[in-house]
Parts: sequence; C-alpha cells; structure tokens
Amino acid sequence: MELELGLALPGSDRTPELGVHGEKRASLCRKRGVDEMLGKATLPLFIRKDNDEDGDDDSRQSKHLQELNFSGSRVLVGWPPVKMWRRKSDDCGRRRANCVKVNMEGVAIGRKVDLCLHDSYQALFLTLGQMFPKKQHDGEESDAAYYKVTYEDEDGDWMLVGDVPWELSVLKHKHKKAK
Amino acid sequence: MVGGFRWAAMFPDEVWEHVFSFLPADADRNAAALVCRAWYRIEQRSRWRVFVGNCYAVEPAAAVRRFPEVRAAAIKGKPHFADFNLVPSDWGGGAEAWVEAMAEGWPHLEELRLKRMVVSDDCLELIARCFKNFKVLSLVSCEGFSTAGLAAIAANCRNLRELNLHENEVEDNCLHWMSHFPESFTSLVTLNIACLEGEVNVYVLERLIGRCPNLKTLRLNHSVPIQRLVGLLHRAPQLVDLGTGKFAAQHHPELFSTLESAIAGCKNLKSLSGFWEAGPTYLPAIYSVMDLIEDDGLIAVAASCKLLQELRVFPSDPYGAAQPISLTEHGLVAISAGCPMLHSVLYFCRQMTNSALLTVAKNCPNFTCFRLCIMEPHTPDYITRQPLDAGFSAIVESCKHLRRLSLSGLLTDLVFKSIGASANCLEMLSVAFAGDGDAGLHYILSGCKNLRKLEIRDCPFGDQPLLDNAAKLETMRSLWMSSCSVTLGACRQLARKMPLLNVEVINERKRGLPLELQPDNCPVEKLYIYRTVAGPRSDTPSCVWILR
Repeated sequence: MELELGLALPGSDRTPELGVHGEKRASLCRKRGVDEMLGKATLPLFIRKDNDEDGDDDSRQSKHLQELNFSGSRVLVGWPPVKMWRRKSDDCGRRRANCVKVNMEGVAIGRKVDLCLHDSYQALFLTLGQMFPKKQHDGEESDAAYYKVTYEDEDGDWMLVGDVPWELSVLKHKHKKAK
Repeated sequence: MVGGFRWAAMFPDEVWEHVFSFLPADADRNAAALVCRAWYRIEQRSRWRVFVGNCYAVEPAAAVRRFPEVRAAAIKGKPHFADFNLVPSDWGGGAEAWVEAMAEGWPHLEELRLKRMVVSDDCLELIARCFKNFKVLSLVSCEGFSTAGLAAIAANCRNLRELNLHENEVEDNCLHWMSHFPESFTSLVTLNIACLEGEVNVYVLERLIGRCPNLKTLRLNHSVPIQRLVGLLHRAPQLVDLGTGKFAAQHHPELFSTLESAIAGCKNLKSLSGFWEAGPTYLPAIYSVMDLIEDDGLIAVAASCKLLQELRVFPSDPYGAAQPISLTEHGLVAISAGCPMLHSVLYFCRQMTNSALLTVAKNCPNFTCFRLCIMEPHTPDYITRQPLDAGFSAIVESCKHLRRLSLSGLLTDLVFKSIGASANCLEMLSVAFAGDGDAGLHYILSGCKNLRKLEIRDCPFGDQPLLDNAAKLETMRSLWMSSCSVTLGACRQLARKMPLLNVEVINERKRGLPLELQPDNCPVEKLYIYRTVAGPRSDTPSCVWILR
C-alpha cells in the first residue's frame, strides 16, 4: 500500500474511502487492540481532499467535502443529520467537559457527571449521592459512604474508585457504576 | 341555469366573510375564491393569515397585493438540509425583501414567524418601527441578527405577547437588550431565549417576569443559575411551560430540592424541558428532555409515560466511535408498545431489525411522523443481514396518516415501491444512502400523491425519473438532491420544459468552465428544484445557477 499521510489521532482506524454509491462505507473506529497499542500503528498525516484536481469527474463517485470531527477523524458532511446548533449546545458550554456516565444498580435512568466540575473523590461522591435516589437501609438515610463506586478500566476490569490519585483518574475514567 | 345569477347578492359581504371564517384550510378558502368574482373579493379581504412555505415561491409584493389585510404571516427560507451544512451559507433566504414589502403593505401585521431565514438587525428594526400592533415574533433556525436587533424589538413593540427564539445563531453584542423593555411593558405571554449564548441580566429578567402576569411560557438559556431560577419561579407561579438552560445540576446539588419545591409552586405547569437529572415525576410532562438515555431508560419511560405523544432521541456522541451504549431497537419497540398516544418519533440508533420495525408498525398505526436514523449508512438488519425494506414498508402500510418519514439503513428500490404505493398522506420524505437506481425515485415521484417535500442525498438516482415525472415536481413545494447521479443536461431539459419551476444547480467547487459552458453530461453536485410564480430570483450567490 502506498504511503498515506493523514491527520488523525493515533488509533483512528478510519480507512479513507470516498464513497461510491452502494459501496460499504468505512467502518467506525474500533477500540485499539493491545498489539496495535504496542506495535507499529501508522500515523496518517494527510487529509485527502476532493480529487478534482485530477480532472476526472465523469465517474459516479460522490465527492464529499470532508470535515473533521472533534477527534480528528473524517466524517461525511451533514451526517448523521444532527443540527449544528444542537451539536454546539452539547459541548456543555465552551469549556471541554469530561462527562462520564454513571449507572446505579436497580435504577433505569443513568446520570451524567462532569468530572471537570469536581476536585476530589469526596466531591464526586457527594454529587452522586445527590443525583441518585437514596436507598433506605434499616430506616436511616444512607450517605455517600454507603455507595460502592466502580469504574471500567481499559482492560475491561471493574476497579474500585478511589485507588488512584484523583488527578490521574480524571483522565482515564470512561464509565462508572454505582452500587 | 340562467346566466347572470349573482350568488353573492344573496347575503351581505359580512355574512360571507363569517361563513369563510369557518373554512379550516387555506386550500378551502382558495377553492371558495374561485367560485365567482364577488367571493374572490370577499375572501381576499378577509384572509388574515398566510403561510409561505418557500420564500421564493412568490414575490413579496405580489403576496401583499393578493391578501391586503393579513395580520399573521409565516415564511420559510432555506431547504431543510441547510440544518446539516449541505446548503452553502450564502445560498439565500434573506428576509429583507419580505419585511420591506410587509412594512409597506401590511402595516397592521401582528404576527411574524420566520424559519431558516437570514434576518438582519435592520429587519428587526424595521419590524419594531413599522408594525404598531406587533404581537408575535417567532424566529426559528434563523441567523444574521444580534441582540442589538432584539433591543429594538424590546424597546418599540409595546404590545408584544410572544418572543420565541428557537435554535437561532444570534450574535451577542448588546448585553442589556432586555433592559429595553419599558417598565410599562406587561403583555408578555411567551419568552423563549434558550438559544442565546450570552449572559442575561437576571435582575432585569426578574422585574420583567414580575410585571407580566400573563406569562405562560418561559424558556431560559444557560446563564440563569439555579438559585436565581427559584426566584423567577416565585414571581411566575402561573407558568405552564418552563425550560431551563443547559446548566449542570451537579454544580449545587443541594439547591436542587429548593428548585423542585419552587416548581411544585407552579400549579399549572404542564411542560418541562432542559437539562434535568431527575425530572419531577408528578408532572405530566408532554415534552421533556432527558440526558443520556438508553434502552433501559426508554423501557422505564414506556412503563410510566402513558401520555407520551412525541419522542426524540438524539445521539450523545454522533461523531465518536461506536461506544458501548445500549440504545438499540429494543428501546423503540418498548416505547411503541407502552405509549398508545405516541404519534411522532425521531430516533437515532446504531442497529435495527425488520422484525422490530414490523412490531413498531403494528403497535403504532397512528404515527404521523416517523424519522429513524441508523447512524452508519447502509446498515442492514443486524440479525438477518437483509435490507430494511420490509420494516419500513410495514411502517408505511400500517400508518395510514403518516405525513413525514425519514429513511435510513440498507434499502433497495423495493422500499420505494411500497412508499409510492401506500404512503398516501405522506408530505415530506427524507432519503439518504438508499436505493439501487432510477426505479427507486420513479416509484416515489409517480406515487405519493400528497408529497410536498422530497430531500435526497447520496442515492444512485439519475436523470430519467426526473424527466419522466416533471409534472409531479410542479405539484410539490420542493425537491433537493445532492450527491446523486443527475446530469446538467437533464436539469437544462427540465428547466426548459417546466417554466414554473426554478431549477437551481449548486456547484461549490468553482473550477473549470462556468456552468453555462459545461457539457450536458457534467454531473450536478446539488440540485434544488421548487415551484414558483416569481420566476428566477435575483439574489443568487456565485455558486448557484438557475437554469432557464
């Protein structure tokens, strides 16, 4: 395969494929496997622009103006069909939010927590305690200490929240579960 | 039948006006206007509400002449796909021509509703100055104005009842625009400023709300903190509809219970929207936004929200990798089974099956709007690996009142055959990455007798179905096709054959020969065809050609 330079973050496996009608689109990013992480992940550096410079426009190729999404990989213009306005408003304001989804056992609707708004585990547990319905245990209201909060790390293991220093953990946490 | 019998003379004009006031639809009034000259004149004088679905379908001055007594006007500009950046930003849809004509011909205008138009501050100032009895301003998905324009509205529209700003791009250059509402101003019933990105002076807002006893709808933006929201609610216990901005309840979770009791104080509250962590469940919320819902959440909604009429589920991370979110066809099926009043659905997901769609179709024959977006194009039924033709066919065959449909997933021409044959009430159809060839488009254009708007992207539809169904296009409001297989030659033919259509070819690349000199087989990137009695418009940007 010829050298392909593209601008994308390591691990974005999107093969650059201009769509021809009926052809399958490139599959979405998948999680990096261990060997990719350790091994020779090529870093694409080049964003393939529309190849109209070549002059061939008689084909049935659909030429999409490319745009980058937040993580730098290619997307179709206007797909999925979500309004620009809605996309903007999902940014939780202009600062970069570090939102994490939390589910509690027995509660159907999950909550979203912005880790950037908390400076310690205590603060996080206090928030979680407020967000979820209080469990009645022997007649007394439970406090934050009653909950066991776990998160799923990169290897898919469930770890107890609190082991790792707060600053480090903010970067890593993707998914939490409270019991 | 003796000639010369004058129907109109049977009753005085006022009686006929009163009779016409019972005609619910403009189409009925149009029919009445054709009966005789007297009825035409009477109906013309008594029509006070007009809807212009495409701002370029008629000259503003002609509309004003045709119905000189209009009090309420609604006008739409850009094609729907402008919402998804498919339409060049300078395409058009400017409101000036309309506002100027209306200022001249409809000085008694009370209500103006604009959607997807470019509205300048000058327009807003003109509205504020010229319409003495102006009551309702509704701007949806518009752009081009700033809070300075809103200040003019606030300062001058003494009888304003409704200021509805929904999903507009508004420049924030006048922080204190709300202070321009005079102290004597008390008429507000609806205030929706959710789309404003700037800070709002909460003191000013409090005083405004406090002196407007008829305020029913209040939708705020992010800048009102929870503590102040409580104060606002105490001043407006008569509220029926409350929307909060996208603030994070986790900032001050201890205040949340204070807010809940403030809301409880609004005894008439029927609708709640915003970024809620746990909405009060004692409110029969007709429309509420929940954050981060999955199948389990939808199952819970299905079990408890028996009055649910409309459901919209958006992707939390539309451009990210497929993350382990469990929002699948099961959530949709649960909702369809549990909510008998459901008639409108917008659902984004990553997987679907024909079987699920068949179940939904059976559970919900009353759908009027069904929009399903499977995020990855060409996705088949994930269990059978078949196209989703059967599923969507079931929807159109079961839902006899379906007016709006959006397709997605792997689809062949077969689904279009079903739609063309069964979707008799369908008015708007959105198609993306679907079909095998020309037959698909032909089925739609030769069927769907009530079709008004058709928008297509990335489908292998070419010239033949357009040329074969040219007459159909004149019965529709508009057709959008982008990244399909239409050639310039077909567009030229269509334009020649159909003088009442504007055939707009949009070519943003600007390289090579100008469009007039391109050969017939040149592919057309984007095509927008709409019926019009105004002829070609004069405000086209350089990337748009109107073929004649």
